Amino acid sequence: MDQSIPGQGPRCPTDPDFVEALFHRMAITRAMETLMERHTREHRFSGWWHPGEGQEAAGIGATAAMRRDDYLFYQGRGCAWAIGKGMAPDPIFGDLFGRITGATRGKGGGVPHWADYSIGVMGEGATLGSVYPLAAGAALAARLRRTDQVALANFGDGTATRGTFHETLVHAAAWKLPLIYFCENNGLLVGTRLASVSPTENVADYAAGYGIPGVIVDGQDALAVFEATTAAIARARAGDGPTLIEAKVFRRRGHYAGDPQHYRAPDYASAYRDPLALLEARLAPDRALALRSAAQAQVQAAYEAALAAPGADSSVIYRDLYHG
Amino acid sequence: MAEQGTAVMAYNAAMGLALIEEMRRDERVFVLGQGVATGGWFGAEKGLADEFGRDRVIDSNIAEAFEAGVAAGAAIVGMKPVINMGFGDFALIAGDEIFHKLAKWRYMHGLDVPMTAVVIFPIGVMGGAGPEHSSCPEVLGMHFPGLKVVVPATPADAKGLMAAALREPNPVLFHSVNSLGFQRGEVPLDPDFIVPIGKGVVRRAGNAITAITYGSMLDRTLAAADRVADEGIDIEVIDLRSLVPLDWELVLSSVRRTHRAMVVHEAVKTAGPGAEIAAQIQERLFFELEAPILRVAAKDVPLPQNGDLEQLCIPSVDEIADAARRLMAI
Repeated sequence: MDQSIPGQGPRCPTDPDFVEALFHRMAITRAMETLMERHTREHRFSGWWHPGEGQEAAGIGATAAMRRDDYLFYQGRGCAWAIGKGMAPDPIFGDLFGRITGATRGKGGGVPHWADYSIGVMGEGATLGSVYPLAAGAALAARLRRTDQVALANFGDGTATRGTFHETLVHAAAWKLPLIYFCENNGLLVGTRLASVSPTENVADYAAGYGIPGVIVDGQDALAVFEATTAAIARARAGDGPTLIEAKVFRRRGHYAGDPQHYRAPDYASAYRDPLALLEARLAPDRALALRSAAQAQVQAAYEAALAAPGADSSVIYRDLYHG
Repeated sequence: MAEQGTAVMAYNAAMGLALIEEMRRDERVFVLGQGVATGGWFGAEKGLADEFGRDRVIDSNIAEAFEAGVAAGAAIVGMKPVINMGFGDFALIAGDEIFHKLAKWRYMHGLDVPMTAVVIFPIGVMGGAGPEHSSCPEVLGMHFPGLKVVVPATPADAKGLMAAALREPNPVLFHSVNSLGFQRGEVPLDPDFIVPIGKGVVRRAGNAITAITYGSMLDRTLAAADRVADEGIDIEVIDLRSLVPLDWELVLSSVRRTHRAMVVHEAVKTAGPGAEIAAQIQERLFFELEAPILRVAAKDVPLPQNGDLEQLCIPSVDEIADAARRLMAI
């Protein structure tokens, strides 16, 4: 079983081991989503958790194309991006439940501020759509240091209207920064339909104005996402500048945990295609079941360990404010 | 062997000299901003692009949020960005990037790691620049924990604090004072000359009143002190130099001796830095005080562009002297 950091194993969509590794990470993510959904219901957990169920293929497929030392700045729905880039479930659950074993060492509570610089998980900005210039700063740093690292800014369709989306793309395109814009378009800005506020059908259509490639990909298909991201990263590493990828995804749950979703049609879920089922078709039947079971067991253990871990006390309040 | 001696140079040039020296000693330092590759709007970046090239001295579009966000992102991955925002007023255009990202990133991610970034905010009046190019927003940096805040009042401090800021493992809001930009003074040439962040200095010793000031108001406060000295009022003038951290030890030990205090700044009075300073002094030294703590600060208005009105809105030497007389009369 490949539980290594993405990029250390084989990375070919026709390689069965690679497909299994992708599926395994998606199964871990799904198991975490399922547990969080249940936990939220049963424990009246903070609605600051924003479920990513159904969107696992985007984060897992994209991060599989990234190197360990590539920089990831992600958005706040679900946990696929952090898991895909190599974080374990334990610090994530620990953070969600405010435990000192969590990634933030006790400060968390639902909104994901998980970072692990050693594997390129650089963090999340909770003012939605705020990571564009940060990722550009990381990309500029790679350029200045003459490394071939890239930076990826992951965001939702609702924040493609932010000023910094456009400010950053102007500069990144002009300077050919090694930057990838990765949009997960689920068609909903909280409860507002993107179509009612967007002048274009696709977010990727904006790319033309900046003279960069705009690529639309089926976000439910992890392998398609992997291939699109691989191409964008190759272009960035070669010094040819940014790419805007738009993955069409499906938001299976509410904007936040417990969202009654009055704004959606009652039968909205009929259009849903399960990304795990799509990838499962590429695996031997017994393998998918085994991978799901292994993921389930690992996630359940991490969940229980997090619940059993000590909560944070006031000693963490002034921690990490200033260094030195 | 450190270079010795001093030279007379302008405040902005001294700040620029620190940039040059820090860029020489640390290749992680780079400068980004509008016009910086052609010397900077006020001369602080003069010659930088010639020595270090346009890879490290980078002109941006008019896009302050982008510039500050790039600084945050580059600092997160271990570079040492310097961005010149052109005017401190523009801090608000980049509010998310400065007051959320630079200030909070490590805290909210639970990371005890160094993060160096210097954001230059030129602040204060410069003769008719108007309400959106003359603000003194330094109190914002005091209100968002996670940032350090400095305001040099002399060319030597402009150099020493910039060098300190680029060796500081925390983001620094560096407020350069517009009205002092071309004021000249003695500046140490030693490339390792540092003015420690968080240390104020007594610019004039006295025993009747402690006048706490910084930035543009230092010279006016010193002039006011000279004026009332003839009347037997002996003012101790403290130049804070840093607002975060603030040198409380220096302030409190002075007030313990003088029992009277006033705060003088160019920022507007209401909820300005003086409000916090006065509040903390009375919290800590209430029974030592002989009089209320006075604030001498800008009127609570957007600064009019008319240069004459502009001067009427910020503290004059007369107003500071009058405040000293009132303090002694209580």
